[in-house]
Amino acid sequence: MTTTERPDLSWLDEVTMADLERNPYATYERLRAEAPLAYVPVLGSYVASTEEVCREIATSPDFEAVITPAGGRTFGHPAVIGVNGDVHADLRTMIEPALQPAEVDRWIEDLVRPIARRYLEQFEADGQAELVAQFCEPVSVRSLGDLLGLQDVESDKLREWFAKLSRSFTNAAMTEDGEFANPEGFVEGDEAKAEIRSIVDPLIDKWIARPDDSAISHWLHDGMPPGQTRDREYIYPTIYVYLLGAMQEPGHGMASTLVGLFSRPEQLEEVVDDPTLVPRAIAEGVRWTSPIWSATARISTKPVTVAGVDLPEGTAVMMSYGSANHDTGRYEAPTTYDLHRPPLPHLAFGAGNHACAGIYFANHTMRIALEELFEAIPNLERDTREGVEFWGWGFRGPTSLHVTWEV
Amino acid sequence: MTFAVTVGGRSVECDEDQALLDACLRAGVWMPNSCNQGTCGTCKLHVVAGEVDHGSSPVETLSDEERCAGMALACQARPRGDVELRPQGTSAARTANPLRDMVATVREVSDIARDTRRILLGLNEPLTFDAGQYVELVVPGSGERRQYSLANTADEDKVLELHVKLVPGGVATHGWLFDGLAEGDEVDISGPLGDFHLPPESEDDGGPMVLIGGGTGLAPLVGIVRTALRRHPEREVVLYHGVRGEEELYDGERLTELAGQYPNFRFVPVLSHEPVDGYREGFPTDAFVEDVSTARGWTGWLCGPPAMVEAGVKSFKRRRMAPRNIHREKFTPADG
Ligand SMILES: Cc1cc2nc3c(=O)[nH]c(=O)nc-3n(C[C@H](O)[C@H](O)[C@H](O)COP(=O)(O)OP(=O)(O)OC[C@H]3O[C@@H](n4cnc5c(N)ncnc54)[C@H](O)[C@@H]3O)c2cc1C
Ligand code: HEM
Ligand code: FES
Repeated sequence: MTTTERPDLSWLDEVTMADLERNPYATYERLRAEAPLAYVPVLGSYVASTEEVCREIATSPDFEAVITPAGGRTFGHPAVIGVNGDVHADLRTMIEPALQPAEVDRWIEDLVRPIARRYLEQFEADGQAELVAQFCEPVSVRSLGDLLGLQDVESDKLREWFAKLSRSFTNAAMTEDGEFANPEGFVEGDEAKAEIRSIVDPLIDKWIARPDDSAISHWLHDGMPPGQTRDREYIYPTIYVYLLGAMQEPGHGMASTLVGLFSRPEQLEEVVDDPTLVPRAIAEGVRWTSPIWSATARISTKPVTVAGVDLPEGTAVMMSYGSANHDTGRYEAPTTYDLHRPPLPHLAFGAGNHACAGIYFANHTMRIALEELFEAIPNLERDTREGVEFWGWGFRGPTSLHVTWEV
Repeated sequence: MTFAVTVGGRSVECDEDQALLDACLRAGVWMPNSCNQGTCGTCKLHVVAGEVDHGSSPVETLSDEERCAGMALACQARPRGDVELRPQGTSAARTANPLRDMVATVREVSDIARDTRRILLGLNEPLTFDAGQYVELVVPGSGERRQYSLANTADEDKVLELHVKLVPGGVATHGWLFDGLAEGDEVDISGPLGDFHLPPESEDDGGPMVLIGGGTGLAPLVGIVRTALRRHPEREVVLYHGVRGEEELYDGERLTELAGQYPNFRFVPVLSHEPVDGYREGFPTDAFVEDVSTARGWTGWLCGPPAMVEAGVKSFKRRRMAPRNIHREKFTPADG
């Protein structure tokens, strides 16, 4: 195919970051229909928007991982999401032991259930709550925070960090000359990182001297010759990956699942009545509104043709998993939350050798949290006096979720 | 070559080179899954019978010990023959009381309320069951089967007590149990059946209970309350019996006597359509909402017409009872 035969994509010039963050679906729907692999000027990058093209690129031997420019500016190097070869293998070897299913099974119940109970106790007698801030996010950050060894960092501080890192990471707008369009958008991320270092550095000092069973302590010591630890500069970018995505996304996933269920009251009732449906409800929740909507990328390692588009070596492509999960070629009425849709695999956790390392942990954290929520408040209703707004292009979820119940 | 893959009572066809997960999902049988590439472990399950080829399941996700213990990754494993699977976390079905076919002898038939009979069936051999379970009666001549709950406790195992409500035109009730059934008759029955019963004694923590029976839905509750109170004489138990009018009430004396014996047991008859002074009026499921401000930590037991059971589930949830603690037995008509 030559360039002249391609559909006219000049409408893409009008698309702004703010549009995408408010609601990316319309733009991506059009991309899926007209150009499943397209150059999107505001992002300064190619974008893969269908299920097929995302999966093909994520699992292709002709592509490897690359971090997006705003992501790289936020995390620094070597972040696990943006490295390949031996460094990627070493970082995966470092983080995986704590996330292996058999390992997670050992402690996940004892870790998450008491945390969920503790937050529920703070409001279950109130008859109303805002679940994103009072439940979904706190349970998400506290569970992972305790696993990492950050017991002494308040949940609200962890929430503040992921929010700042998240906005910085997705400050993706580029000028025509390939410069960041809003460099000031990185300031709050830099401030968060400075604060993180001031708190985590002393902990690292402690773990170097006295290893314990926390995940970060293991990252420092595991697989290293006696007396040596991994350099902290080497692990910080991956600590930031955790303090952003791994902290934020289980909360997004829970909240989106709840909003989806509220849109189908009979399905909510089914799930409340039969907690064994919670995992299925969550799988559909993260398909319906994918928490990591478009945050990771791949880069071609040689000239390739994908979806009829010739890409030279070194072309970066953003993976729009949130769009792929709304692909009408694969899902009927993808914009509807439906617990009972044919349960085809989705791409909410990505694909290929950079697929999410925390799937098992994340799924079980979300499961236990929702089980406890429905157990404590089986008569939960959405507070219809308040609307529900979703926000985000890189990462997406409801900004708040007001609920009521009879007490 | 295709094989049968059975999971949770459903059977699907799976090609020899097709992943178990793929076959199930395509047939609409959901099972947990996430990565579909063998790396996350979400789809791990037990192979209860038959053999699978683990394909490219990585050892990091499925260890050798797990393979030896009969686990597999559904997204990677292929069947080598017919296989039966059990999702992780669901324990093997509890050892159930064995189901038996028996011939029982009618010991007594008595009219105990309007359109309501108590039928006692004598057995030659004691029956092992849990209070709250039911038996199936074969309607003579028709081959039809109808279910009736046992009002017995587990130690009352030689004479079964049934409470039967007349259904106008009903094959079993109108045509037989209320017409022609006599002492000494032989009846073909099977049982015990159903999961409407207390947990084993060792797992029964003596927590508070509310039971609501509509009409002859009282039957299994009579067995359950007596068992529950004997286990934990101090436990808080409220039993509602909902009927249309006073003439449909029965076993009031028996239950009032029980309330005398156990200080924390309350028996509350409720009349929905024919109010009489001295009785609660309305639906029993509403009476519960009026009486109990929170049912957190309670277990609930609902038995009777399907609509009443549904209403009870709503009432219990309004009072924040955990749904998994809500036990339900619906008297669904055979043609329903
Ligand atoms: C698990 C279980 C336990 C049961 N335990 C008991 C029990 O302990 N005591 C008891 O009395 N019954 C009990 N039943 C109901 C019982 O099994 C029969 O369905 C009932 O006795 C009617 O049978 P029948 O043959 O007389 O009526 P059928 O010939 O089956 O029905 C005749 C017509 O009446 C309708 N009908 C049936 N039942 C009703 C009803 N309740 N109200 C209005 N219309 C109806 C039918 O739909 C049909 O149109 C139980 C049912 C189940 C599923
Ligand atoms: C519902 C919650 C979560 C969702 C939806 C999610 C989704 C994703 C996605 C889409 C990716 C990118 C995959 C790709 O580019 O193909 C990813 C990467 C990653 N996730 Fe998650 N994630 C979640 C929670 C977690 C948690 C809790 C952890 C850790 C405890 C975690 C650890 C990681 C890591 C380490 C990576 C980088 C993997 C690599 O590049 O090799 N995630 N996640
Ligand atoms: S779905 Fe992830 S291992 Fe099978």
